[in-house]
Amino acid sequence: MSHKITTQKVNFKVFRFNADEDYLPYYENYDMEVTSEEVVLDILNRIKWDHDGSFSYRRSCRHGICGACAIKVNGRSTLACKESMNDMVDLFGSELTIEPLSIKRAVKDMIIDKGDFWEKHDAIKPYLISDVDEHPEHEHLVTPAEAEELNEADLCIQCGACHYACPVVDINEDFFGPAAFAKAYRFEADVRDDAHTDRLVDLHKESQGLWDCVKCFECAEVCPKDVNPIEKITKLHQMLFKEGVATSNVATRHAVGFKHSIAKNGVLDEGGLVLYSEMAGIVKHVPVALKMFKKGKIVPPWGIVKSDNLDEIQKLVKSSSTAKF
Amino acid sequence: MSIPIYTYDAIVVGAGLAGCAAARELQNAGKKVAVITKLHPLRSHSGAAQGGINAAFSDEDSVELHEFDTVKGSDYLADQDAVEFMCQKAPETIRWAERMGAAFSRTPDGKIAQRPFGGQSSPRACYAKDRTGLTLLQTVYEQADRAGVKFWDEWYAADIIYKDGKVSGVVAFNIRDMQMAIFNAKSVMFATGGYARAYKINSNAHANTGDGLSIVARHGLPLEDMEFVQFHPSGLSGNGVLISEAARGEGGRLFNSKGERFMEKYAPNAMELASRDVVSRAILNEIREGRGVGPRKDAVYIDVTHLGKELIMEKLPELRELAITFLGLDMIKEPILISATAHYSMGGIPVNIAGNVRKNNDEYVEGFYAAGECSCVSVHGANRLGANSVLEALLFGRFVGKTMVEEIDSIELRTATQEDAATALAEIDFILQNNGDETVTHIREELQQCMTANAGAFRTAETLEIAIKTVKELRERFQNIRIKDKSTVFNTELQEAIELGHMLDYSLFIVESALPRKESRGAHYREDFETRDDENFLKHTMAYMGDNGEISLDYMDVVLGKHELKARNY
Repeated sequence: MSHKITTQKVNFKVFRFNADEDYLPYYENYDMEVTSEEVVLDILNRIKWDHDGSFSYRRSCRHGICGACAIKVNGRSTLACKESMNDMVDLFGSELTIEPLSIKRAVKDMIIDKGDFWEKHDAIKPYLISDVDEHPEHEHLVTPAEAEELNEADLCIQCGACHYACPVVDINEDFFGPAAFAKAYRFEADVRDDAHTDRLVDLHKESQGLWDCVKCFECAEVCPKDVNPIEKITKLHQMLFKEGVATSNVATRHAVGFKHSIAKNGVLDEGGLVLYSEMAGIVKHVPVALKMFKKGKIVPPWGIVKSDNLDEIQKLVKSSSTAKF
Repeated sequence: MSIPIYTYDAIVVGAGLAGCAAARELQNAGKKVAVITKLHPLRSHSGAAQGGINAAFSDEDSVELHEFDTVKGSDYLADQDAVEFMCQKAPETIRWAERMGAAFSRTPDGKIAQRPFGGQSSPRACYAKDRTGLTLLQTVYEQADRAGVKFWDEWYAADIIYKDGKVSGVVAFNIRDMQMAIFNAKSVMFATGGYARAYKINSNAHANTGDGLSIVARHGLPLEDMEFVQFHPSGLSGNGVLISEAARGEGGRLFNSKGERFMEKYAPNAMELASRDVVSRAILNEIREGRGVGPRKDAVYIDVTHLGKELIMEKLPELRELAITFLGLDMIKEPILISATAHYSMGGIPVNIAGNVRKNNDEYVEGFYAAGECSCVSVHGANRLGANSVLEALLFGRFVGKTMVEEIDSIELRTATQEDAATALAEIDFILQNNGDETVTHIREELQQCMTANAGAFRTAETLEIAIKTVKELRERFQNIRIKDKSTVFNTELQEAIELGHMLDYSLFIVESALPRKESRGAHYREDFETRDDENFLKHTMAYMGDNGEISLDYMDVVLGKHELKARNY
C-alpha cells in the first residue's frame, strides 16, 4: 500500500464580513500546515476552532451529501467537505482564497442569504405530483430503464454551487438557474409524475428563463455530484417539443430554424436562422450583419453552398426527429 | 422587549424523516403544524443514510424473520411488541414512500430492489443505489412541503415548555438574527436525531449533538438505555465518515495486516455480515493486537475489488467517491482503510409504540411525543440492525404523527407567557456574558477523546469511572467558558457552546448508565463482564438528572414475546 500522509504549507486568504457590524468586507490571512487527509471543510473548522470562534459557515454532514457547505475557492464553486486539499493545491498552488458562493449575498463570512435560490427551487413544484395511496399493497412498477431516465437528477443536494456559478443568474434575477431546472427535470423524467405538461407549461414561460441558458457548461463543471444540470436543461427543451408544449417564440424558433436549415442545406444558414428566429426583430441585427457580411463571415441566402450527400443528411434528420414542430 | 408568541396545533422539532413524516400527517389532517429545524430540512442527517431500508416482502422472506433478526440483533433488549409493529408495517411504509416519489433501485421486473445486510436471514434492505436516505428525505420533505407544512428553518429549539406533566410548546431562536420566539402548541414532537457526536471518531453530521435529549433531561424527564451506542464497523480511517454496510452486503471482505480474513475467527458463519457490534469489536481487536494497517496502523482493509468495476459503479458509486476524496484510494483498484466509528444511538427519549413520551415507568407526559433516533421505543434494544434506522424514523415518524392527530383535540392549549422563555434566555445570556478562560473547542475535544477512550466499543468499570469523573470535571469547566463572538448574526460559536452543554449532559447519562450494567449485551461490551446476564440485566435503564445535575437510575421491564431468549451467535 502506498497510502502515506503528507503535509504542505498553505496560505489562506479568507473573506470576512458581518452584515451587522462591518461596513465593508475584508480578508484575513491564515498560514497553515495542511495534511493530505484534509478537505476544505477541515480548514474552515480549524480557522473557527483554533483561530477565531466568530468565523461562520454552514456545514453539517461532512461527507458530501447534505449540501450545506458550498463555498468558493479561488473563485471556483466547491463543496467544502468533498474537496480534498491536495487537489486544491494541485489546481491552484499554495495561495488559496476562500470566499462565499456569492459575495453580494454575504451575511456573515461564508454564510450567504440563499433566499433567491430556495424561492426558485420552491417555484418549480419540486415534488412528485400524484395521488398518493396512503396504504399501498404494491409499489408502482418502474423498470430499471425507466428509473434511469432521471439521469442522476435525484442526486442533486441543493448545495447551490451551480446556481451561484451561473453567469445568467448573476445578471438576471428572474432566471431560475441550473439547480431549479435540474430539479424540474427530475420530476418531468419520472414516469410516476402526473403533472407532466402542467409543469412544462410553467417552465416554458419566458419569465422563468429555461430558454435563457447560455450553454456555458459552468454548472456541469462545478457540480460536486456530477448532476450535469445543463444536460437536464437541454432535455427539458426537447421535452417541450415532444410534449407539444413549445409555442412559437424567439428561442423555440431558433431551435426549429436550426433544424430547417440543416434539413434544407446540410449546413447552417446563419442569416436565415436569425431571420427565422427574430422575424421582424431582425432589423436590430442589421448593422452587425452588414459588418459580418463585409468580412465574409456570413453569406446571403442565395449564396449558401449546399452539402454534398444532402440526401443522406436529410434522411438522418428525418430518422432522428421525434417531435413535430 | 417582549418575545413573540406563535400559536399552532402542533410543533415538530427536527426535519429529518421522522419530523417531516409526522408533520405531513398533521397537515393533511387539517392541523396547523410547524416544523422547527436548525438546518434547512434537506440538510437533515436522515439524508446521509446510504445502504437501505428493511422490509420483508420478497417471497423468500417473512415478517416473522424480520422480527426475529431484529430481536436477535438487539440482543433481546428490544421490546417485542414494538418490533412486531415495525416489521408488520414496514412493507406498507416503504411502498408508501415509493408512491410519494422515492427513487428506489429496481429489479428487472420493476419492483423495489433489495440487498443483503448484516444480521439478516434474507436480502431485505430496499435501496436506492447507495443513497437511500437521500431519496427518502427528499421525498418526505417534498410531500410535506406539497401538503403545505410551514418550516422554520435555521431556527434553534432551545427549550420545551414543560409544567405539571404537560408540554405546551417550544422556545426557539432564529439563528440568523437571534430573534427569540415562543411556539405555543397543544402538542410537541421531538425528532431531533442521535448523539454520536459525543465521540471523537464518529460517522455523524456536525449537527447531531443530541440537543433534544438534554433539553428533555434537564426537565427531570428520563432517558432510556443511553449506554447503548452503536459502533459501525466501517468508518473511513482517520475521520470516521461512513462506508455503508452495503459494501459488505454486496460482498466486501475484511483483511488484517497479515492478509488474514479475520472474521473467520469471530463469526465463522456470517463472516463480514455478522451483526455490527460483533464486526466492530473484531476490527478493533485486530488493531489492538497489532494487526492494523494504514499509516497509523489504526485500520483494517475492506476489499471489494473482486466485485468488479461495473457492480461498484452501479451499486456503490458514492462510497467509491468518499474513499477517493478522503483517502485517495479507489476501491475499484485497491482495498481501502476502515475502522469502527460511533454511529447510532439506540438509547434516547423513552416512548411507547404510539410515541407518547414517558414521564417514568408508568406515566406519560401530556402533549409530548418523540420519534426517530432521538427516541427509544425500543425497537433496537442493545444493538440496531443495519437498514432498520431509516425504517424506524420514517415509520414511527408517520404513525406518531397519526397519534398526535388523534389526541390533539382532547388536549387543552395552555397559553404561553413570557416567563416560559426564561430558561432559554438565561442559558444564552450566560454563554454570551460569561468571561472565563475555557473554550468550546478544548472542552469538546477532551469530551470526545474521553468518550472514545473510555466509553467506546470496549468498556470496563475502571474506564467508565474515569469517564464519569472526566465528564463531571468538564461540566464544571464549562461554567468557566468564554466565546469570542458576541454578535447577533449567525452566531455559530454561541450555537456550538449551547450544543456542547447538551453533549456534556447526555454524555454523563451514557457513562452513568453503562457503569452499573455489569454484563455484555449488544453494543455495550464490558471486558470485565463478558457475557450477557439475563437474570440481572434483561431490563431497560431509565436515567434521570436531578436539579443538582447528578444522575439517578431506575430500570424498566423489557416487553418479551414469541422470540425466546437464546445465545446470540453469528
